Amino acid sequence: MTHFGAALRSARERLRQDDRRYSLRQVAKRTGIAPAYLSKIEREEVGPPSEATIVRLAHELRQDPDVLLALGGKVRGDLQEIIRRRPKLFAKLLRHLREVPDHAVLHIVREVRDGDY
Amino acid sequence: MITLDANELTFGFPEVHERATCSISFQRTLRIPDDDRSYPLPPGLGDFPLRHIDDYEDRLPDEWLRRGGVLLPMYQAEALWICFDGGYPFALKIATGKICAVTGDSWAESLNRDPQDYLVVPGQPWLDGYCVGKGEVRQFVAMPLGEGYSVEEQLTGAAEHGGLQIMACPMKRERYEQLLAQQHRTYGVRDSVETPFYPGVCYSPAPMGLAPGGRMKQEIYDDEYGLDAWDQRHASRCFISIVNSRQWQAVTGEHPPTQPPTAAQYTDAGLPWFDFYSELEAVEATETLKGVSSVAAIGDQKGDSPLPENDSVEVDNIVELGAKRPSRAGSQVREMP
Repeated sequence: MTHFGAALRSARERLRQDDRRYSLRQVAKRTGIAPAYLSKIEREEVGPPSEATIVRLAHELRQDPDVLLALGGKVRGDLQEIIRRRPKLFAKLLRHLREVPDHAVLHIVREVRDGDY
Repeated sequence: MITLDANELTFGFPEVHERATCSISFQRTLRIPDDDRSYPLPPGLGDFPLRHIDDYEDRLPDEWLRRGGVLLPMYQAEALWICFDGGYPFALKIATGKICAVTGDSWAESLNRDPQDYLVVPGQPWLDGYCVGKGEVRQFVAMPLGEGYSVEEQLTGAAEHGGLQIMACPMKRERYEQLLAQQHRTYGVRDSVETPFYPGVCYSPAPMGLAPGGRMKQEIYDDEYGLDAWDQRHASRCFISIVNSRQWQAVTGEHPPTQPPTAAQYTDAGLPWFDFYSELEAVEATETLKGVSSVAAIGDQKGDSPLPENDSVEVDNIVELGAKRPSRAGSQVREMP
């Protein structure tokens, strides 16, 4: 159970407290889906929508697309492509990193180098 | 640590708090007329590309590589604004040519309160220029270094650094947790400060600096938390070198963004400008930055016309944006529709 719909509704309702443009109807319109469909997604009567729709919803509701996709049980297409190019290597890497703490994982992320000025 | 993803710099301090991140992007925009009238906020026209400077070590001079950081392309006389995003409170120092954009003082790696030489986010959604009056900035405009237009050259007499420098300092973990608890008690809103608020041949690109352009209405907000709130042991900084867009392709192999529309073209098309309302108190400008001359004024003194298409415009279509407590969220879409 990922509670994708509940998380979506919570994010939208938080924004709506300050801005009425975040009504269900208006958010649905701006993300190109039917209000009834968005309502069903929020109430978890249907499963999470497509990757493209989740990314649009994430941008609209100022959420991290990767987090929202994960809540919807999906992995972003560009990440799938990275794994498909070198499947054995990345499968090994991800399994290896499964138990590694966050701060150690962050050490292998490429940083912007600070220099001398 | 600072990471670069999708043209956005993210300053992260997992050692302070797992949520201590602040993302910064650089928005393309139109250059407002430099005519001493005060204009509303111009739109965002998309992100400037950002690239790791280390990826072009065979194409750039050692002096550029020594500074580290990232590369950003700008046309001469093009403008930019800086967009801040993230819910964790940060103090940000912004400098151009190692001159503070808030006070005009030389770059220092500590936060100072009198006068305040930093911005506080969330709260400050954007920065468009140098603070030259209470509630007024002069737009950041790219000019070649060495011609006397940049703030760096006006205040130091030297054309040494150019570019932009940013230092990010997160709020202390304990202060953040107190703030969350306080907001929960006051507003019954959990994690409300987390609501997001608002990237062979060696070339010698001509260095670019930022100079003060036209006036616009924008407030730099006073730090409501106080100096003690900031964890200065954990600050990170980044140098953003500016490459003339005409040399961007030679350095990176990529096409630069197209030139933005002029203020007149944009306004004549009926497209919106923006105004931002906040309950936060604005800081005063320092005498140092009040005294800098705009690009057009220096051009007049030199008998040059450095700013093409600088005619005044009448702005009627202004979209009001604003922040309300506690979430400070709202419609912060400052983009051409």
